[in-house]
Amino acid sequence: MKKSDSEINRRQFLKNGAFAVAAIGAVGVGVNYLRKLNEENALTLLRPPGAILEDEFIYACIKCGLCVQICPIEAVKLAGISDGLSYGTPYIDPLAQACDFSCDAMQCVETCPTAALDFIPFKKAGEDALVEYQKANPTPGPDYNPFIVQSQSMKATTKMGIAVIDHSTCLARNGKGFKGSPREDGFKGIYRSPNPKREERKASPVNDHIFNRELCDLCVTECPIGEIAIIMEEKIRGNGESIWRPMVLEGCTGCGVCVMVCPSTPSSIIIEKLEMI
Amino acid sequence: MINLKKLTPIPAKRREEMPNSKLGITFKEWKASKPNKHKWRNIRWGVLLFFNFLFWASFAFDIGVLEGSLSGSRFLGIYLMDPFNALQEMFIGSRTGYFAMLTMNFFIGFFIILIFYFLLGGRTFCSWLCPYHFLAENTEKLHNYLVKKKKIKEHTYSIGIKYIFWAGFLLLAILTKNLVFENLNPVGIISRALIYGPGLILLWIVVLLLFEIVYSKRFWCRYVCPIGVTYSFIGKLSPTTIKFDLTKCGHCRDCQDVCLVPHELWFVKRGEATKEIHFAGADCTRCGLCVDICYGDALSYSIRGFDKIT
Repeated sequence: MKKSDSEINRRQFLKNGAFAVAAIGAVGVGVNYLRKLNEENALTLLRPPGAILEDEFIYACIKCGLCVQICPIEAVKLAGISDGLSYGTPYIDPLAQACDFSCDAMQCVETCPTAALDFIPFKKAGEDALVEYQKANPTPGPDYNPFIVQSQSMKATTKMGIAVIDHSTCLARNGKGFKGSPREDGFKGIYRSPNPKREERKASPVNDHIFNRELCDLCVTECPIGEIAIIMEEKIRGNGESIWRPMVLEGCTGCGVCVMVCPSTPSSIIIEKLEMI
Repeated sequence: MINLKKLTPIPAKRREEMPNSKLGITFKEWKASKPNKHKWRNIRWGVLLFFNFLFWASFAFDIGVLEGSLSGSRFLGIYLMDPFNALQEMFIGSRTGYFAMLTMNFFIGFFIILIFYFLLGGRTFCSWLCPYHFLAENTEKLHNYLVKKKKIKEHTYSIGIKYIFWAGFLLLAILTKNLVFENLNPVGIISRALIYGPGLILLWIVVLLLFEIVYSKRFWCRYVCPIGVTYSFIGKLSPTTIKFDLTKCGHCRDCQDVCLVPHELWFVKRGEATKEIHFAGADCTRCGLCVDICYGDALSYSIRGFDKIT
């Protein structure tokens, strides 16, 4: 009696086990298919600051969402099932809400428990900047704030991607100015303007800013990084006519604020990930 | 369990040794004498809903008590880590040679979970925290109703296939260099949907629940979930468990009917127990349904070793 019981159990285990192995195999085939399908898609997802290369990111990220929770301007979102294997991983859509470094301290990077957003380069950059600052200013003035020195260099260390400008739709390139608020009515994106005349500690809605420019240069003036990232460049044409256009430099961090504030519809600027170039 | 089975069972109780005979009443009267209690179930649901609410509220109201989701979180600033995710990360790292994701916080979270759930019984996580367990536990009633009305047939499988799934998912993670299981994991999916807003992936949860209702009772929790298996490894020698007292048992086996893992209560069958006192094994989720239903209080929560002191 007992023996036949264990024999039945053994048989059932083998039968069900074969089913389990087949199921695992099916999942494997599915994943492999999705991975191939996903390879292009995943690269277009703009990762938060400090993201390691996509090949590693996809497994280093445990999809906990701590970066989403800590972001003060809710720029970081989690991908849905339509992104295939990238489901649950964080991304930034600069057209809807760009990262404007409002937190000043790379909080999403620092909070990541598995270093999918790797804080080590930022920490090093911050420390190096302090050392360099103290070398250059052996007796720092009364307004010396080590936090700002560190924060500036940490921002500049970010490399989410690089802004690419489509000059065919760019207002400046076409010699046009811009008046009014940059985005369509009802747009909810916020950012902290770097313009010293309108110095604010808090981020405010994009559309609360009213601009009046002879020649549109919003992407240049609103860039949180400044002149190491994007400048207006003059170009003299063959017929002696001069034209101005925004020019993206090496220092661009790919934060996407220029994408968000660009008044063209659709935005003349996109952020390309470095892996794609 | 295999070792225990080699022991010779204690001879089955005679009629006058049954708990009802000692009280001088019939078996039916004995069973009817105890009112329906849901003490442990209510406590457990309270804890489960409270912590999932805390996850939601921490983000929704920015109170920052329990941040993150069930796949990785921070409780009052201390990192916690899903052990199966952690295992996958370590295995993938050993293949790719990239170990940067194994940070200090990663190990802090991993070891806190290991120690905490070792002390509390391993699969305690399942019944006391897992939101999918809560949904499945409630839809199970519909399944039981349909089986009782003979609308559907019950399908059971070999309990050992979950180890195949566990190893299979780990292997898949290594081969594809991807946290494959996290895309199918109802624990993480429901937790994320709760905290960050729902998505289309919830259809997968509906499919799983429907399958469990119309085909096989508690299919995912019993036969598949590798998180449960990982926790059962953690709680293999856990001190907190369910104690079985043979002298109080009436062998009605109602406890096995309500149990998620009835094979862990093998000793309640008449003439099977090999000792006066038995402890439930690693697969037991310490949910307390058997403690609630037991008419003679033969089953109870206990901390191994402490019985002799108190």
